[in-house]
Amino acid sequence: MKRILAASILSVSLAAPALAGEFPEDPLKSVMWEYMAERFFSDGKIVFDPRVRVHTPDSAENQMLVPVTVDARGLWGVREILVVADLNPLPHVLTFHPDQAEPFIGFRLKVEQATAIRVGVKTVDGTWYMGGKVIDAAGGGCTAPASVHSTKNWMASLGKTRALVRRINDDTLRVKVRMKHPMDTGLADGIPVFHMNRIGVESGGDSVARIALYEPVSEDPTVTIMPKVAKQASVLDFSASDTEGNTYSYHLPVPAEPAL
Amino acid sequence: MQAGRRYTRRDFFGIAASGCACVACGGANAQTLRYDLKAVEIAPQSYAVYGAQEYFTFQNGGNIVNTAFFGVPDGVVVVDTGPSRRYGEAFQELIAATLPGRDVVRVFNTHHHPDHFFGNQVFDRGLIAAPQTVIDNIDVDGVAFADNLYRLVGDWMRGTEPVAPGLVIDMDREDVGGRALSYLRLAGHTSADFALRDDATGVLYAGDLAFLDRAPTTPHADLDIWRASLRTLLATDRDVLLPGHGPADPKNDAILQTLDYLDWLDGSLRDAVQKGLTMTEAMAVPIPDRFAALGVVRSEFERSVVHLFERFEDELYESVPVAD
Repeated sequence: MKRILAASILSVSLAAPALAGEFPEDPLKSVMWEYMAERFFSDGKIVFDPRVRVHTPDSAENQMLVPVTVDARGLWGVREILVVADLNPLPHVLTFHPDQAEPFIGFRLKVEQATAIRVGVKTVDGTWYMGGKVIDAAGGGCTAPASVHSTKNWMASLGKTRALVRRINDDTLRVKVRMKHPMDTGLADGIPVFHMNRIGVESGGDSVARIALYEPVSEDPTVTIMPKVAKQASVLDFSASDTEGNTYSYHLPVPAEPAL
Repeated sequence: MQAGRRYTRRDFFGIAASGCACVACGGANAQTLRYDLKAVEIAPQSYAVYGAQEYFTFQNGGNIVNTAFFGVPDGVVVVDTGPSRRYGEAFQELIAATLPGRDVVRVFNTHHHPDHFFGNQVFDRGLIAAPQTVIDNIDVDGVAFADNLYRLVGDWMRGTEPVAPGLVIDMDREDVGGRALSYLRLAGHTSADFALRDDATGVLYAGDLAFLDRAPTTPHADLDIWRASLRTLLATDRDVLLPGHGPADPKNDAILQTLDYLDWLDGSLRDAVQKGLTMTEAMAVPIPDRFAALGVVRSEFERSVVHLFERFEDELYESVPVAD
């Protein structure tokens, strides 16, 4: 009996390590902050820090296409960047590991309503540095069908990719990839969940960047990153997959000289 | 965009507004919301009704648009009807006070953007005319536009419903109420933009193909087609042009300024895409001094990035061979 009691106390304390008031006050004043903190950021110290720069418009012109740029280049030793939209029905947007890249990522997401877009940047010591912005929006970005479903034979374009690789300086590239995919959330009537869930980038067998994508990422995911890749490298190897096990791989030539 | 929703945002606002003091209205109520419309004569018996050079807000009630009306031998012709039913009612009163005792014989909608046709409700649908594609666009987007305008301007919109024109314009000239009108069925600002010229006065009612001293908007724009339409307008005989937003123009200023802005928009978006900028980086590029005086230019440019950026990405980025 004593043993059972002890076990249940242990399990309670494991399941709820964070109590109300344990997290720092949310500058974005979101009602979901403590829930988000506990679900996504409770495995480390949490500090709100202006060096986590999150750029997005004040208001969503199109709730299916909200552009975001996260720039944490002011922080040292970044291991992971995790993005959530507090009031989306499925809040987790993406997780980015810049293994051999600047802590910088551009992407687009769907929002269901006005929400805080919240970014946690985890550094090598395990601390979560937090930033974000509140965006105003009309309703319905996550529950509307992807535009591709209004076309015939949309499967034919699945995974089709366009890309740009530019060299910024001797050891930094700017890379944008844009891949055709409906990114179905499963919340639109009659359309099951079907989204790209992983992009991996390697150079010479070493990981440059890993990105886990979730339902809120916009249709035709378009991602901008800044790999730290020396001039000797001639190619970046991309591999991506979706929730139905389709895989997509491609190789992007790397220019040796900076673009003018 | 309305998939699966039984109650629209508009229904919600209607319910909320009918039963309470309406928090969003900041103390205003149905009795005090009133558009202050003025008729400005731009040619004999031809009047512009100017809206604010702004974006939709509760303060302006959505009155950011130019509408117009002119006397013809057998009555009055109306060009565009404003952002709401309430605007339509005020507009009708203004027409009756300015040209008393004369019936409206025709109403035109230049295109399907919500600030231009939501006053249609107060006119006889059988008198409202537009090209078929404008009518189709109203059918497709009208309800979503109404929802969004309720969100942006609130109770000003009470009772407003989209009404599509009942007459199709499929000709290039017509006698309307004893007056010869020339029609230009163009596109580019949207997929269907209608402009007309009153041949007697030489006034060209250009709709939103032309803006003056206000940044052009692009939610349904095709920049190449739009610029071709502007060159058509430039070659069209006229004494004065009334843009959809901004003052009446006896010269070529509205057309040339709109062309210049669209050229710059096209070039700067291409440049941003070719540099691999993110959309928010593109939104921050410098805007040339010559456009600094245009109303709401930074916010319209940011909106244009959202509207157009992916089209340029699809056009300018190389296709990559993908293996399974």
